[in-house]
Amino acid sequence: MTVAIEPLSVGDAPVGRPIWAAMRRPQFAFGLLVIGFWLVVIVTVDFWAPHDPLAAAGDRLLSPSSDHWFGTDTLGRDVFSRALYGARYSLPTAAGVIILTVLIGSTLGAIAGFRGGWVDSIVMRICDIVLAFPPILLAMAVAAALGPGLRNTVIALVIVWWPIYARLLRGQTLAIKNRDHIEAAVSIGVPPRRILRRHILPLAGTPVLINATMDFGQVVLLTASLSFLGLGAVPPSPEWGVMIDEGSRNFFQWWIALAPGLAILSVVLGFNFLGDSLRDFFDPRSQR
Amino acid sequence: MGRYVLKRLAITPFLMIGIVTIAFLISRLIPADPLVSIVGERNMGNAEVVAAARAQWGLDDSLFGQYVTYMSNLARGDLGISFRTKGSVVGDLWDRFPATAELTMTAMFFGAITGILLGAVAAVRRDRAADHASRLFALTGSSIPVFWLGLILLSIFYARLGWLPGPGRLPPRTDAPPNLTGLYTVDALAAGDFSLFWAVAKRLILPAFVLGWGLTGIVSRLVRAAMLDELFADYVRTARAKGLRERSVIFGHVLRNALLPVVTILGLSFGTLLTSAVLTETIFSWNGIGSYAVESTRNLDYPAINGVCILGGAIFLMTSLVADVLYALIDPKIRLS
Amino acid sequence: MNVRAEQSALNGGSRRRSLLSLMSLLFAMALIAAACGSSADDNASDDSTDTTAASGTDDSTATTAGETDDGAEPSGDEARELIIARDMDTNSLDPSRSFCDTCQIYLTATYQTLIGIDTADPDVQVPRLATDWSSNDDSTEFTFNLNPDAVFSDGSPVTSADVKWSWERLANLAGPPSFLMGGYTAIDTPDDQTVIVTFENPNSAFLPIVSAAYMSIINSEVAEAGGAIAAEGADVNDQAEQWFFENSAGSGPYVLDSYSDGESLVLTRNENFWQTPATFPKVTMKQVQDSTAQLQQLQQGDVDIAMQISIDAVSQLEGDPNVTVGTVDSYNYVYVAFSPGAVGADPLLDDNVRKAMKLALDYDGILDVTVGGAGKQQASPIPNGFLGSADLDLPEQNVDEAKSLMEAAGYADGFTLMAMYPTVNVYGVDFDTMMQKVQQDLKAIGVELELQPVEFPQWIDQINADGIPVTAVYFAPDHTDSSQYVQYFGEIADSSWARRAGGGDAGTPLFKQSEQDLLAEALSASGDAKADLYRQLGQAMMDDNVIVPLVNPQLVQAYASDITNMHNSACCNLELGLLGLG
Repeated sequence: MTVAIEPLSVGDAPVGRPIWAAMRRPQFAFGLLVIGFWLVVIVTVDFWAPHDPLAAAGDRLLSPSSDHWFGTDTLGRDVFSRALYGARYSLPTAAGVIILTVLIGSTLGAIAGFRGGWVDSIVMRICDIVLAFPPILLAMAVAAALGPGLRNTVIALVIVWWPIYARLLRGQTLAIKNRDHIEAAVSIGVPPRRILRRHILPLAGTPVLINATMDFGQVVLLTASLSFLGLGAVPPSPEWGVMIDEGSRNFFQWWIALAPGLAILSVVLGFNFLGDSLRDFFDPRSQR
Repeated sequence: MGRYVLKRLAITPFLMIGIVTIAFLISRLIPADPLVSIVGERNMGNAEVVAAARAQWGLDDSLFGQYVTYMSNLARGDLGISFRTKGSVVGDLWDRFPATAELTMTAMFFGAITGILLGAVAAVRRDRAADHASRLFALTGSSIPVFWLGLILLSIFYARLGWLPGPGRLPPRTDAPPNLTGLYTVDALAAGDFSLFWAVAKRLILPAFVLGWGLTGIVSRLVRAAMLDELFADYVRTARAKGLRERSVIFGHVLRNALLPVVTILGLSFGTLLTSAVLTETIFSWNGIGSYAVESTRNLDYPAINGVCILGGAIFLMTSLVADVLYALIDPKIRLS
Repeated sequence: MNVRAEQSALNGGSRRRSLLSLMSLLFAMALIAAACGSSADDNASDDSTDTTAASGTDDSTATTAGETDDGAEPSGDEARELIIARDMDTNSLDPSRSFCDTCQIYLTATYQTLIGIDTADPDVQVPRLATDWSSNDDSTEFTFNLNPDAVFSDGSPVTSADVKWSWERLANLAGPPSFLMGGYTAIDTPDDQTVIVTFENPNSAFLPIVSAAYMSIINSEVAEAGGAIAAEGADVNDQAEQWFFENSAGSGPYVLDSYSDGESLVLTRNENFWQTPATFPKVTMKQVQDSTAQLQQLQQGDVDIAMQISIDAVSQLEGDPNVTVGTVDSYNYVYVAFSPGAVGADPLLDDNVRKAMKLALDYDGILDVTVGGAGKQQASPIPNGFLGSADLDLPEQNVDEAKSLMEAAGYADGFTLMAMYPTVNVYGVDFDTMMQKVQQDLKAIGVELELQPVEFPQWIDQINADGIPVTAVYFAPDHTDSSQYVQYFGEIADSSWARRAGGGDAGTPLFKQSEQDLLAEALSASGDAKADLYRQLGQAMMDDNVIVPLVNPQLVQAYASDITNMHNSACCNLELGLLGLG
């Protein structure tokens, strides 16, 4: 489930308002804070995590205490440390998915929009077909076909996600293509590749950025969902979905699922806050 | 305009064929032999037995041959036999669809009502505490992992407090109402059995909340934006100037017009929710399409996986087609996809 | 995931049109009507009692307590409906095709075998459809005399023709349990009450095999009408599998009422049962996937028996007066296997390396993390309680010795092995947990495992193709004879594990002619000699260092306190016909 965002068209973007002006909004600051926290965790967790995430740190299934803030799991590993290390799996995975989908989707979309004709038709029909699949089902089927592992999760999610950006970029390209300066550039014989790179892609950047921010959280959720279903990360990695799966099998030891659940919630909420405030900021309707 | 509708209609079968083809190809990529569930683990080493079973299940044909068979069967409305349940996939889906439909519609109902209310409140009280609270509620709903939320709610409201019933569609020691629609709430009412109606309705509360909370976020954001649009429209100023009470302005005009995009979103989200039910159904032992999908994937039962994908794709295509055509019919300004 | 929705919101924009808004209201109303009232919660609280109070756990007068609450059952002193929570692994309800733990329970309830197993002692066979049975001296010919009173649920008598038909069909269908009939040459029926089965080679295991649930006798006339075929070619021509999902055709205490995949298996009492009728008029086995949900539903009185409660959750039930909870020994176990013949498993060809890995395992720790200590270690692939399992030394952890063995083998720096395993949770053992522990233990001697949890069919595929260097699986007895373990795990011809691990034929590195000979001897032996032969076979399989049993878990039995005669049967899991109310 996600918050629907109506992808912005370039025409809507308020001219001359730099993106950092959005940062003054409290939601934005909150989102940034949360994401910043997790980025710091990813970089520095080795230096201060209370325990080794892969080795037993005490008796098994200990309830939370001052030694183990979120208790220990079935193998006696410290849940808090594992949840912290989990960020090293979930966030880079999601980042990989987003970067690849944006690259692949945007390129195909821009080409389709710019070229038009049969190229456009083919790309857009493939988009239609992929988008017509229920996303989690397609991801499950692809993940099942490829086998477990986070790399395969990335591939599955990219296959599910790229058409969104293809459509977005195609729409942007169509809108920009007819502007005077582009038409002028075409008429004087500037090569299409250059027009795309110089004139179209930069203008489409803002909506892509906003969409990517919103999607980031959703990718984190979907990754964890696949892992929860046993189609994503493999043990012993402290991936959050895997941890919740372990917790769900020991539900009376509620603390096992608590930390990873809160971790996912905070990350996704952080990105949603960021995306939401960015969208509001660039949405003319909220300027009144 | 008529051309647009025609074009939209004409392209649908091709999209459907594309969906079927891709589903077929993905399932054939699955690197495992489904025969183990037919002949058993021990006989898998027996080449003769495996070959016989392979022939019987039509798996000895070439990939293209299997595809042709699959498509021609599909044309007759036959999606094949499930390796796991041994029943026809169409029959399996038909049996399970009402459970998912009931859950999804309830979740939509919940999501729509709370979303509209929260969105309206947020718009009217823009940038005040209520706006921020509703935004927080909406965003949390779309940020919380449903599989985690479901577990937590069950453990609190069922296991610890006993306020709400546990997983499953029916209370224990209770038979399903006579089958009319397959929707237990409707069937129970049709049979005039009100206590059964309450019993099955209560079982919908937790899963529908878990599934619908995300939708709340979508709807409330839309309603908020649309209402802000409306609040500043000329006719609203006119209405206010005429001295209409604020309440009747908001409910009589603004909200009613702002519901317009909500309808589209709801129509479209039906297909999406239907399959987002995968995780919810798994946790709530809800024997619908979602848990069928998970079980089929776990058993690499590819006729069933194909069937679910095709059903999901078909539902989505139909709902978006209806929504788009409706829009086009009503608003002639809309052109092209 | 909402992405599709966004697109058309964009398409639509938000133009106002009164017609459209009217339609939107209509649509919303339609939605409301469709979902009508389901979110009503005002009346929820006062009504909730009637769905949760029905467990009948109140006290000894509970025989009638159950149905008064919900009225689902007939009145009078009739027992309530029995509800069992179970994660059903049903692959089929056709006796000759099914092969699963749930199938054993179902088949034992609706069908009967010729011989039964005493639920208290797996070595004691009791009459069922047969009144008596005998075998010739070299165990190649078996004679059964049927009980003339025995009738199927439709009232027709059970005859020797039905036995012949059922067993031939089992063999000819080549389904998962067909191996049980392996090696028979003929089934003769001199008269209606006599069946004679002959084998090419001695097969002293056949009498225990006859009590396996898959050897159940089917009403051949009824089943043939349903499309079943017993003759050769049945594997291609028999079309009755679907029919068996809707009908039972046996002589057991219950008959099949309905089966709904992923939901429930409903049985009703067989009113024509020729022995003591079952206590419960109706039994529903309800699909409840995980331990937590099973436990919650047992606590709330929604179910009478919860079959798969994990040992870590048992403490939640202590002190609940309405629930009886205990643990009993089981014959199931979970093991790891080292396969030298697998692709990428070269270091394992050295017996000392396998020995070192066996020594590296922390057996007590594994018991602790998997089942909280509620289980036993097991020496050889023949499980505790079976013939040949006694008097063997349990393996023990010795990391220092393991390290020196590794060094001597030239692997002081260790190596990496692929470890694919089915991602299952069986008998309370979670494979993810267990394999992570094994991974930790082996790491201490330099053996790195790359864990790859996969779905079961995928695992089968891999193990039959390239093999898997280190894997984990589980085993539950198919019958009560120890021969099954040698035939499945021994390094002999036609053994599943010999083939997988890289043996199975003379000349392959692991093949042991000695095991092959011992088994042939054991299959024609009896009494103490037989016990000693299986003990030797157990020792031989231990010394192969291929199969390493890790956990012989105890079974958690949790049920409403008024259920009586709860048991764990070696052949059949749970015999529903024996359960009572007290």
